[in-house]
Amino acid sequence: MRILITGGASSGKSTYAEALARGLCAPRYYIATMRPYGEEGLAKIRRHRAGRADKGFITIERDTDIASLSLPARGTALLECMCNLTANEMFDENTFAMRDPYDDIMAGVRALEAQCAHLIVVTNEIGCAGCAYDEPTKRYIDVLGRLNQALAARFDSVCELVCGIPVTLKGELPCVPFDPS
Amino acid sequence: MLFVTGGASSGKRAYLKTLGYADEDMADAVIDARPVVYNVQAMAARDPENCMELLEALLQKEVVVCDEVGGGVIPATPRERAIREQTGRLSILLAQSAQRVVRLVCGVPTVLKG
Repeated sequence: MRILITGGASSGKSTYAEALARGLCAPRYYIATMRPYGEEGLAKIRRHRAGRADKGFITIERDTDIASLSLPARGTALLECMCNLTANEMFDENTFAMRDPYDDIMAGVRALEAQCAHLIVVTNEIGCAGCAYDEPTKRYIDVLGRLNQALAARFDSVCELVCGIPVTLKGELPCVPFDPS
Repeated sequence: MLFVTGGASSGKRAYLKTLGYADEDMADAVIDARPVVYNVQAMAARDPENCMELLEALLQKEVVVCDEVGGGVIPATPRERAIREQTGRLSILLAQSAQRVVRLVCGVPTVLKG
């Protein structure tokens, strides 16, 4: 089963994605894409690590090039998250040079699908603020929006988290115990 | 408690008027004797680090209204990011304890819980 989880910041996406993964078959791989920028980023990584510490995940840190990832066994993969992966793939870490990472990221998703029984991808709703952003940010919103559409079309189920409440947008979601707090 | 969420100007207070609440029943970002408190996101923004301390008093209200603020691109400053994340966490706790959760989209209420 392939599930896309979306929602705003701090809406319960990660906690729900982990709860879903726990209900699916082991081994469970957590593919972490966040680059640790500064104390705030490190604190977020620490919080996420603590949150899944006793949940039986094998953490794989991979901030780019998901396509070359090789999972040791066929189980459940949780990719967290498309927003970081897209930014990492799109902007060069040192020069900030920009490229369109759409094809590479979709190839990465297809490669993951081929190696696991279940795939859960966490993404983010970023297109609805309506602010006048600079050109790189506009292009980032566009790429992530196109990726979200492609994943939603391809996957079995799509769910949006609103204030910790999962709202099913497409397909069905397994019923799992879930405490968003 | 009824928890009402949704984007800015999505029709949250207009919805409450259909339930019989009047303007004078609604307190703007302050906890007092009125049954409704709205703009809870502004209360959280005043002191994001300690905004969870509002929870207990908010749970005593008949209706709590908080804007959904987690959409859009990640803000540029640490303080804006903290406000957004803490407002989201507070909303999760409010939704969890609420008997009913309603989200407004273009003025249309959608019951998410209860």
